[in-house]
Amino acid sequence: MRVVIAEDLALLRDGLTRLLQASDIEVVAAVADPTAFAAALREHQPVDLAIVDVRMPPTFTTEGLTAAIEARASTPGLPVLVLSQYVERLYARELMSSGDGGIGYLLKDRVADIDAFLDAVHRVAAGGTVLDPKVVSGLLSHAERSAPIARLTAREREALGLMAEGMSNAAIATAMVVTDKAVGKHISNIFMKLDLPDVPDHNRRVLAVLKYLQESDTG
Amino acid sequence: MTRTLRLGAAFAAGLGLLTTLIWGVSGQGYFWPRWVWMGVAIPVGLAGAVAWARQQRAGRRRRLAVHGAISAVISLLEVVIWLLSGLGWFWPIFPIAGLAALFGVHAWVLTRLPPERERELLQRVDVLSRSRSGALDIQAAELRRIERDLHDGAQARMVSLAMSLGLAARLVKTDPDAAANLLDEARASTVSALDELRDVVHGIHPPVLADRGLAGAVEALALDVAVPVTVTADIPGSLPAPVESALYFATAECLANVVKHSGASRASVDLAYRDGRVVVVIGDNGAGGARLDGGGGTGLAGIVRRLEAFDGTVALSSPAGGPTTVTMEVPCALSSPKTSPSSATD
Repeated sequence: MRVVIAEDLALLRDGLTRLLQASDIEVVAAVADPTAFAAALREHQPVDLAIVDVRMPPTFTTEGLTAAIEARASTPGLPVLVLSQYVERLYARELMSSGDGGIGYLLKDRVADIDAFLDAVHRVAAGGTVLDPKVVSGLLSHAERSAPIARLTAREREALGLMAEGMSNAAIATAMVVTDKAVGKHISNIFMKLDLPDVPDHNRRVLAVLKYLQESDTG
Repeated sequence: MTRTLRLGAAFAAGLGLLTTLIWGVSGQGYFWPRWVWMGVAIPVGLAGAVAWARQQRAGRRRRLAVHGAISAVISLLEVVIWLLSGLGWFWPIFPIAGLAALFGVHAWVLTRLPPERERELLQRVDVLSRSRSGALDIQAAELRRIERDLHDGAQARMVSLAMSLGLAARLVKTDPDAAANLLDEARASTVSALDELRDVVHGIHPPVLADRGLAGAVEALALDVAVPVTVTADIPGSLPAPVESALYFATAECLANVVKHSGASRASVDLAYRDGRVVVVIGDNGAGGARLDGGGGTGLAGIVRRLEAFDGTVALSSPAGGPTTVTMEVPCALSSPKTSPSSATD
């Protein structure tokens, strides 16, 4: 797997590089600002995954987020994993709206659990959606108040939350201590209750999460 | 006001009508009631004009409006007298011109020369809005700085620490030596993170300031400065916390300047409370030539803005060749005296 890292703090840039390399992931470039990031993406094609810090120079606000969204506009479907020291639902929504699949948005703290972090890296690179549990739990507490989400049962909402964290049906089944079949049923109920169009399952999952994000925000 | 005015006008009209009636009944002849009409019209006209002028906002503009209204009524009256007395040479031109000139002078004075009190208030508003926006700027900048320090410092260290520990946990079985190295790194990271947190805390509110007040905190500060600093303190009570904090950081800035710019071999800080003002005098025997407008990046302008928020002042005496004295004064009230006595250290 070929990865580009954009992170302005050398301490964390080196740490991430070392962590990925220790897991046999090739870091083709590790850069410190959005300009170098865009250049690295052009130079090192094909890139399987970009890992981007939200806060980067010159203003140290959300340059990284903007750079990630721009990268997905110029390279459609480029998997991007955005890391940050705090998470905002607003940013999650902006990222999710930047195209189908291959989106991750995690707190930097998650690197502490290296196996889980590497799992997220692989899932995002494979086109999956991984949102930080913190974003998801924020959604769950708001979800009660928004209309289409309110139609979901508590179990279905739980399944949707786990889906937003990027889990597969099997993983959701394990987490909820139910059978794969029961999870499948929950998920088809979710698709139905959220009025999602009949498109391939993978895209529907993304749409469900996106709807989740949007609905909870107005709730 | 308008009700009285209406009653007065009605009474005047009644009187005019009555005299006209008497004139009609008593055989007419010379139309003398015109003088009665005029006599009753004067007070009504004056009252009406003044009532109109008083609708203006209170203040000097209203006085000008009343002046104008009265002048207008008098001018009109003179024209009426001229009309009634047989249209001779137009003599009212002189009094009218005189009144107009007076009115003009009044208006000119009003626009040209704001009175002392008003000028003082304008200056005060100016100072207040400047110091308030200065205080807000400083506060916002401080918050940004603190956020940045935490984000890039302690928070980043913690993430790096988490990464080292995570990697170490993976390697502990397969490569114990590498794991041990990572654990060492992790320990070093914790120490750095604590250092950075301590710096941030100190930058927000130095613990010694909370524990010992301004005098104690300045003494502590003096011990950390590269040149010997004599501190004397005579503050019989405790200062309001915001004033204390502002003066502490201002003093720290001044002492940093002494070290960076003055080349002094000695410095002194004198803290005193006199006539409702806390006075801090920082002196050094250095090269002088400091400037309040921030020349040479001394940050003195920042101190001025910081203290302006408390109506404080900063005076600088720094002739070329030295010595330099910065005198900061902030008006404030003292609360009950401290239990720990103020002291002097070298």
